Amino acid sequence: MRFWGIFKYEFSYQVQRFWTWLIFFALIGFGFLFVRVNFIADALYSDSFVNTPFFIAGATVMGCLIWLGMSAVVAGEAAARDVQTRMHPLTYTAPISKLEYLGGRFCAALVLNAFIIFAVQLGILLGYYAPGVDAGILGPFRPAAYLTAYAIIALPNAIIATAIQFSLAVRSGKAMASYLGSFLLVFMGFFVAGALLWKRSLGTLLDPIGIRFIVEDLAHLWTTVEQSTRLIGLEGNILINRLLWLGIALVALFVTYFGFRFVHRTESNWFNRILRRKKMYSPSPTRVGVIDSTPVSVPHINRTFGFTMHVRKTLAFTWDSFRTIATSWAGLAMLLAVPLLTVLIVADQMVSGGMPLVPITARVISVLTAPLSAELSRWVIIPLLLIYFAGELVWREREARLGEITDTMPGSEWPPLLGKFLGLGFVLVVFTLLQMGAGILAQVLMGYQHFEIWLYIKILFGLQLPEYLLFAMLALVVHVLVDQKYVGYLVAIITYVFIALSTMFGVEHNMLVYGAGPAWSYTDMGGFGSSIAPWLWFKAYWAAWALLLAIVARLLWVRGKESNIRVRLQWAKQRFTRSTAWTAAVAGALLFTLGGFIFYNTNVLNNYRTAAEINKQRAEYERRYAKYGSIAQPQLAATTLHVEIYPNLQAADITGTYRLVNRSTKAIDAIHVATVPRVKTKAVTFDRAATSVLNDEELGYWIYKLEKPLQPGDSVQLKFQVQVAQQGFRESGADAPVVANGTYFSNEWLPAIGYQKSRELISASDRREQGLKPRPMIASLYDQKARKGSSGGIAFEAVVGTAKDQVAVAPGALRRTWQKGNRRYFLYATDAPIGNELYFFSAKYKVHEAQWKNLDGKGHPVTIRVYHHPEHTTHLEGMVRSIKASLDYYTKEFGPYRHKHVSFVEYPGNGDGAGIHAEPGLLFYEEGFTFLKPEDPESFDFPFAVVAHEMAHQWTVPYANVEGAPVMSESIAWYYAMKAVENALGPAQLRQLINFMRESHVRAEIRRGEPLLRGLDPYMSYRKGPFALYTMSEYVGAEKVNHALRQLLEKHRTTGAPPATTLDLYRELRTVTPDSLQYLLHDLFEVNTYWDLETKQATAEQTETGQWQVTLEVKARKEVFDSAGVETEIPMEDWVMVGVLEEGKSIHEPLYLKMHRIRSGEQTIKVTVPRKPARAGLDLTNLLIDSKPENNTIEVKVNQTGKSAKIISKNAKQQKEVIL
Amino acid sequence: MTLKITNISKTYSNGVQALKNVSLDIPNGMYGLLGPNGAGKSTLMRILATLQDPDNGSIQLGDIDVLNEKDKVRETLGYLPQEFGVYPKAKAEDLLDYFAILKGITERRARKEVVEALLRQTNLWDVRKQKLGGFSGGMKQRFGVAVALLGNPKLMIVDEPTAGLDPAERVRFLNLLSELGENSVVLLSTHIVEDVSELCTRMAIINRGEILLEAEPLKAVEGLQGRIWRKIVDKSMLSLVEYEHNVISTKLLSGRTVVHIYSEEDPGNGFETVAPDLEDVYFTTMSGHVGNLKPETAL
Repeated sequence: MRFWGIFKYEFSYQVQRFWTWLIFFALIGFGFLFVRVNFIADALYSDSFVNTPFFIAGATVMGCLIWLGMSAVVAGEAAARDVQTRMHPLTYTAPISKLEYLGGRFCAALVLNAFIIFAVQLGILLGYYAPGVDAGILGPFRPAAYLTAYAIIALPNAIIATAIQFSLAVRSGKAMASYLGSFLLVFMGFFVAGALLWKRSLGTLLDPIGIRFIVEDLAHLWTTVEQSTRLIGLEGNILINRLLWLGIALVALFVTYFGFRFVHRTESNWFNRILRRKKMYSPSPTRVGVIDSTPVSVPHINRTFGFTMHVRKTLAFTWDSFRTIATSWAGLAMLLAVPLLTVLIVADQMVSGGMPLVPITARVISVLTAPLSAELSRWVIIPLLLIYFAGELVWREREARLGEITDTMPGSEWPPLLGKFLGLGFVLVVFTLLQMGAGILAQVLMGYQHFEIWLYIKILFGLQLPEYLLFAMLALVVHVLVDQKYVGYLVAIITYVFIALSTMFGVEHNMLVYGAGPAWSYTDMGGFGSSIAPWLWFKAYWAAWALLLAIVARLLWVRGKESNIRVRLQWAKQRFTRSTAWTAAVAGALLFTLGGFIFYNTNVLNNYRTAAEINKQRAEYERRYAKYGSIAQPQLAATTLHVEIYPNLQAADITGTYRLVNRSTKAIDAIHVATVPRVKTKAVTFDRAATSVLNDEELGYWIYKLEKPLQPGDSVQLKFQVQVAQQGFRESGADAPVVANGTYFSNEWLPAIGYQKSRELISASDRREQGLKPRPMIASLYDQKARKGSSGGIAFEAVVGTAKDQVAVAPGALRRTWQKGNRRYFLYATDAPIGNELYFFSAKYKVHEAQWKNLDGKGHPVTIRVYHHPEHTTHLEGMVRSIKASLDYYTKEFGPYRHKHVSFVEYPGNGDGAGIHAEPGLLFYEEGFTFLKPEDPESFDFPFAVVAHEMAHQWTVPYANVEGAPVMSESIAWYYAMKAVENALGPAQLRQLINFMRESHVRAEIRRGEPLLRGLDPYMSYRKGPFALYTMSEYVGAEKVNHALRQLLEKHRTTGAPPATTLDLYRELRTVTPDSLQYLLHDLFEVNTYWDLETKQATAEQTETGQWQVTLEVKARKEVFDSAGVETEIPMEDWVMVGVLEEGKSIHEPLYLKMHRIRSGEQTIKVTVPRKPARAGLDLTNLLIDSKPENNTIEVKVNQTGKSAKIISKNAKQQKEVIL
Repeated sequence: MTLKITNISKTYSNGVQALKNVSLDIPNGMYGLLGPNGAGKSTLMRILATLQDPDNGSIQLGDIDVLNEKDKVRETLGYLPQEFGVYPKAKAEDLLDYFAILKGITERRARKEVVEALLRQTNLWDVRKQKLGGFSGGMKQRFGVAVALLGNPKLMIVDEPTAGLDPAERVRFLNLLSELGENSVVLLSTHIVEDVSELCTRMAIINRGEILLEAEPLKAVEGLQGRIWRKIVDKSMLSLVEYEHNVISTKLLSGRTVVHIYSEEDPGNGFETVAPDLEDVYFTTMSGHVGNLKPETAL
């Protein structure tokens, strides 16, 4: 009963608090907005609904995250209110048990939290069912979806968080300690689980919130059908995760219960107790009861009350604030735990797709930095900590009940405000310094020596620290203005959520989101480029805001006993002295000047448009001009350009001539020209009389009517001039295509012919919003119209001029280079037709040259040129080796290389490395690629494989832009690369490549959608496709598969031939595949087939002849998944490789390796091998797609007695041994 | 320097009128503000300490307008609130040094000197290296005094300072204050009559927001000469006595009750005359026989 009384009182006490309802309604608001902005607005590609259990679960997870940030106060109050209000002597001495007291309080907090967190579900419901939603995108109302999300995600989260928050608050006697509990959970979810252990599935288990196991895992594991219908269930990882965390919560509660006592709380802690200082507290004065009559002899000291005192006071507050934070638990977490973990994280991140990276400073720094608004970055913990610290500092005096004393001390309100800000700033400085140390330490641990300390300082202190400082000021000001500790936290967190998710609230412009600004960038090649100036303008603008906020905070700073708004406004009036007015005026003037300047740059000099406006414009383009989409237009046959690049002016001038040929069968009387609004296109002229009949500059659509129509086969010349110049800076930053070093751009600026279908909106939701009918992402594989004849490529010639100290690169072979005045010119021309994507580069390149000659001396030699940043040289040799090996193998297997040159060009960017782009004869790679480093000659040579893959694109079959297109381009190129690796580096390297490709797609078990023939996504094109081709090559022989591919290429490369599709590929493969294996081709390409092969037991017994008889108990099963993910079991009668390996020997030296026919179900296989076996099983090299490849093989048990084996061998006789 | 309080009124938002038209003239020296709990003492003290604003009225300290020149007041103010805490992890010496900076003692050597002097004065020198969290109530109180004394304040406001002190500490503390009172205004609020009688040259009695009496303690006691009578009665007789006489206070003495009454002539009936003390002044004033309290409100 007493339990019930405690529970009831606590519950009703908190239900009557303002903050309870603030959190409740904030969560409803969040759920509502989240649904509206993320789901309804994104609805939807296909016919699935927006209110699926999966979406509801996702929204619930995000709601829980917000809840975690805000609601710690509930558990904290319940746990620590008595101690904090110093009422505990009354409650502790009441006749109640620990269980009743703690239990009642905890249960009240838990019930309250369970109630509050339910607001998320209410918000989601409101998001779906409040007016304003198209009923067509809503599926049937399923209460179970909300309830399971609540029961599996929200409720356990509430229990876990409440338990941990409660425990911490009880232990420390401070309600705010509960925020540390929240922080700890966020830290686990984002920092530890998210960053360190993600790859190992431990990450899923260690995430207490659900970000990993719902939002990321299920999104990948579930098929689309599952995502739209299946309910979240308590099973697998989710179950283990929930149990694990509930267990942790239980332990926390147990520890709290047993550690808690109804005793007076002393200030001594475990640390003191351990030290057992000799002089325990004996702080009583030595003279007791003596009437001391010595006169008061306090020396008379001159005090100063002017500027000096204010400065000195500010410093005193600064130091006190710093010390308070630095010696608190949260401070230790920030200044000790985080930097230590950072070392591990940096080391962990210096890997790209399983390949170690050279830990250059720029890359390490990119791990250490994140803009404030990156809400899902691991550094989200810093703003959260700042909010916490700011609250602690603002309330420091008052919580220690010293406020009345300090408030009566002389001086203005500036010293405490500024001192606390500087104290926080000092913490951040120390933190930054430690982070820098962590980065350097990580580099040292990885054996890297080139530290670039100055770069660390510039970026961490110059760019990252101001970001935090701005937010620190905001957090302080919020706490000062709100003047209620818990509500202050809530408001600060809501403010942060707004900053991080501002686009969700419809606010996009960086001038409207506190502290926001364009991103800076840094690469070895380009340095900071021109990204710093806009960054600086924006931050200065926000600094002016911060100053203004500080003035407001100072005016409304609570000093004294009363703090209602009337009194505070009165103070503000009193405090608004002349000097304050001047400061405010300066801040205001600064604000308006900077703001005006930024606005002039972003919205006047440049065209600023919100995402919605851009969409509107694209829709308008389609509405007005889609009618011209199917009219006949001449095709581009040749392009001649004169490009002048001015790196220092960040400008370029391009003049050009197109030769357009009418390849249609009708006369063309008007030419439609598309221009890009971003650049100035001038002087479009034709070599025959033409008049402009439409000129839509805004949408970039021009129509020129020809006086004499262009007859079929006839051609016309189009001349144009394009000026590219950066006007000031844009809202998104400098965004300059032409930079001081490392310019690269494409021909997207140049005029194009005809209606540009690529400018249409694609996503169904965008189209719905703009009132357009949905359009397919890509044409169907069976759409004959989409397979229009190929243009046969273009001839290209260009003179490119650039600064004297730079090298310019363009498509084609370098014919000539010369200097004129201060400029250097390069003439490039093609020797074979190329596609119509042109790229131009200019930088202070060094050129690494090599020659390749065909092995048999036939064909022409090829000049290899690698244009690279002078400091990046380690990759050159490997790159050239791979290029040569590729040329060797591909020319032999698939036909001649069509150009006399191949250029590899480096361009700025710290991307993960594999991003090489291939155009005919011209391939370009991000700087990041040069940092991939094979550890030693034996280890996997990933860069070799990537270069081989990109070289393979030179042999890519011209393919139609229909379903399966990425398979035609990427899958085949990766198959080529696998073969090139095997050919040049040997089977062991191929094995490593295959393992790597498997590993970086651990989710091979995604049983999704369309078959390979219609494959579109990266998994299909980069993994399943190459594996399917490789499997075929292992089953029917590489020479046959290569032959098929060569046939395909030859048939479609000739001018006038239609572009190929996967159907053509499939046809060629069928031709070379024997009848006995046609089923396999079908299984791999036409349907989604999964094999489930398992070796249950393997025993061996030595025969009298000394040989070994191996008996395998295996089980097999084959399933086909349709595009919706529905599975059907198919009877199996397939050829599967059976293998037996010797101890310590690889697959390349098998004891036994032969094809057997394996049927569905369990069966026994018996083989005889010459030496003692160690491991045996099915499909050792994983040629068949199996979600559990690890159980394909098993350790062989050696039987000493022969009896049992004989019995098995009897059964095994039915199993015929077939050798292929 | 004098502190001149004129017509101060203060009403809280919950309707409680804490001060009603309070006017006082407080010269240099110790001034006692005597009143029961909830009389408005602390409100008045906080207003003087710049922590609260009255609804109307004015306060002058010398030529400083206390209500509008708070910064000036704070430069010369020492304030010891009725209730305050400390940073438990801070050492006494460090925290006092910190407060010295906040009070404007910016010069390092001077600060060191002052801190040492004050710690010795408040008998905290021996424990200066210890953390304040382990201090007893009296030690904390003395620490508070040290803080209030920093910077030689001309106006010293001490709000019920002796409440938590043991007798010896209380004596020490009051001595300290009285010496300080020689050249500044020291305003001491208390509900303990002895504090005032032992120290203060002037005093005021306040109840329900009103000043009932403003006087010099000795003169006030003198004024009651011959008007206070005493009798020891049984508990059962008490209500009868209360009915017949103007009882100002009752006290238990060995199980019986000592009754003090106010009467300008001999009440007879076994009452004997006693020499009045300040306590009698206090109770006589509280029951409205002297001072400003109107009899009808008193009964």
